[in-house]
Amino acid sequence: MGKRILEIEDLRVSFDTYAGEVQAVRGVSLYVDEGEVLAIVGESGCGKSVTAQTIMKLNAMPPARIVSGSIVLDEQDIVKASGNEMRKIRGNKVAMIFQDPMTCMNPTKQVGKQIVEAIKLHKHLSNAEAREQAIMCLEQVNIPNPKERAKQYPHEYSGGMRQRAMIAMAISCDPKLLIADEPTTALDVTIQAQIMDLLVEIKEKQNTAIILITHDLGVVAGIANRVAVMYAGMIVETGTTHQIFYDHTHPYTNALMRSLPSVDANKTTDLVSIPGTPPDLLAPPVGCPFAARCKHCMEICKEEMPPEFQLEQEGHVARCWLLHPDCPSAAERGDFSE
Amino acid sequence: MSNVIIKTVNLSKYFRVSGGRMLRAVDNVSLEIRRGETLGLVGESGCGKSTLGRTMMGIYRPTKGQLIYDGQELNLTSKRERFKFAKKAQIVFQDPYASLDPRMTVGSIIQEGMIIHGMYDKQKRKERVDELLDIVGLNREHANRFPHEFSGGQRQRIGIARSLAIEPEFIVCDEPISALDVSIQAQIINLLHNLQSQMKLTYLFIAHDLNIVKYISDRIAVMYLGSVVELASSKDLYANTLHPYSKALLSAVPVPDPDVEMNKKRQILVGDVPSPINRPKGCAFSSRCPIAGDICRREEPVLREVLPDHFVSCHMVK
Repeated sequence: MGKRILEIEDLRVSFDTYAGEVQAVRGVSLYVDEGEVLAIVGESGCGKSVTAQTIMKLNAMPPARIVSGSIVLDEQDIVKASGNEMRKIRGNKVAMIFQDPMTCMNPTKQVGKQIVEAIKLHKHLSNAEAREQAIMCLEQVNIPNPKERAKQYPHEYSGGMRQRAMIAMAISCDPKLLIADEPTTALDVTIQAQIMDLLVEIKEKQNTAIILITHDLGVVAGIANRVAVMYAGMIVETGTTHQIFYDHTHPYTNALMRSLPSVDANKTTDLVSIPGTPPDLLAPPVGCPFAARCKHCMEICKEEMPPEFQLEQEGHVARCWLLHPDCPSAAERGDFSE
Repeated sequence: MSNVIIKTVNLSKYFRVSGGRMLRAVDNVSLEIRRGETLGLVGESGCGKSTLGRTMMGIYRPTKGQLIYDGQELNLTSKRERFKFAKKAQIVFQDPYASLDPRMTVGSIIQEGMIIHGMYDKQKRKERVDELLDIVGLNREHANRFPHEFSGGQRQRIGIARSLAIEPEFIVCDEPISALDVSIQAQIINLLHNLQSQMKLTYLFIAHDLNIVKYISDRIAVMYLGSVVELASSKDLYANTLHPYSKALLSAVPVPDPDVEMNKKRQILVGDVPSPINRPKGCAFSSRCPIAGDICRREEPVLREVLPDHFVSCHMVK
């Protein structure tokens, strides 16, 4: 494993709204190493995007507020960084790819010029040099005729090409960390495959660390080294891709995996659905956030937040009372749901 | 009652765009849906799958071709016939946020169709609403609430209750789950599946998530640029894919299993889907096809049965 690029320790982010304090992120700890892909999966509203945006400090503060915790990016604490310092970090050390490339580019500016803008912000280059580098970036993401294409406007690009252009912009300053927030959700499967291949290529060539935020477990299986499963603002289980897919221990991870039709499933078997909906983060439950939907729920689950339990294999951590050494076995609890 | 519930014969739907050009959204589609089955319709965005679904519902009037329901040709220019057809065929839309009137209560949303079709008296309609809410897994008290008070999955249930209200035989599900979260998707799929066996419904299931389509469909039609390129039972389509586009599409679908993903040989298509305003000559897929020959650029292939109940439109498949 390479150098540690990002380390988040007990991050809490809240939004102050008229209705009260929405605790979007409630104590997230994670890390990413050089040349590694960490996937953050979870349902909408579980806090995965807020976590990512906080690394870039992109969410408007207020209403957002970092309650506590630290984010150390390349040996620098982001939480304490000033606006000026952040401007030097954004795009230079860490860059982001968004879901919808159309709304994230300036429609009135040529694509090439937008990339030049990003390059000149961080590197002391002449116009001509920056332009040359922008074209090189477009070439790197496999855009045909990059010279001519650089002079076009975003609306002249197709959806897949726009996403490529955004990736070109993101890698133009060789960031150490690339955050991809649902990069392929808006794209068709054949284009999605092209973009995922491109991300792998960038990771291997430049040894970039990548945080991939998605709800598509298929994409995760193909590209991620490690996976963090989020639920109601917390990481409920984290481990290597293999551990999460084959040896998961948290009931939510299990339900998530089983709610997908398997390769040889057919109509005769019902899909496993999770009853109910995620909790309201305006008033999050005191105990385990998944307790209300969990079929293994015990008394303690409703009363006390489960701590992180280290599992047999290193790096595999889950938050569930079932993993407590004193927890009675399934038969003793009278739980025969499995 | 015939075994085939709805059939299209050379159905086309063109839209006129600026400059007098024609956008051929659906082109010469001949398709049969059998009573009680689920036909999955897959393809990338812009391939005309939603347009085909809506044309089959009578929402759009076909430019060319026929629509045959239960052995009888539908004359969709007649308002009366459209009205009668609407009683039999219903649709569940993709976006549960946009397809419910925000100013109507859930009860009146579900009742509206029954009122229009003159079904039951006031008292009985109320009972039906309660019954439908039970069927789709909502509470009876929900009838007096408004759509904004519900989550996405619950709204989709309201949409399903609305389409069931007038007791249709045939339901077009136009991407009913793509706006929902994974854990909620399974709930809706199970609901649709149970309703089908209880009420003997026939579904046209439009989606781009191929794993889900494979799970729910009996047969699957693959569309590309307005035409059906392959049609087979869902088992055959995955086990013995014939059309090069279907092959590429299926191989591009990520499988939620790291071991499978690791060993998978992906066939990545180059380039983007051409515009339906400016279709390539001959086979629509010839511009991206890895095995296209001269004939593909000259002549348009037709959908033919190459194996029992397995149709494909490709010159290169023998």
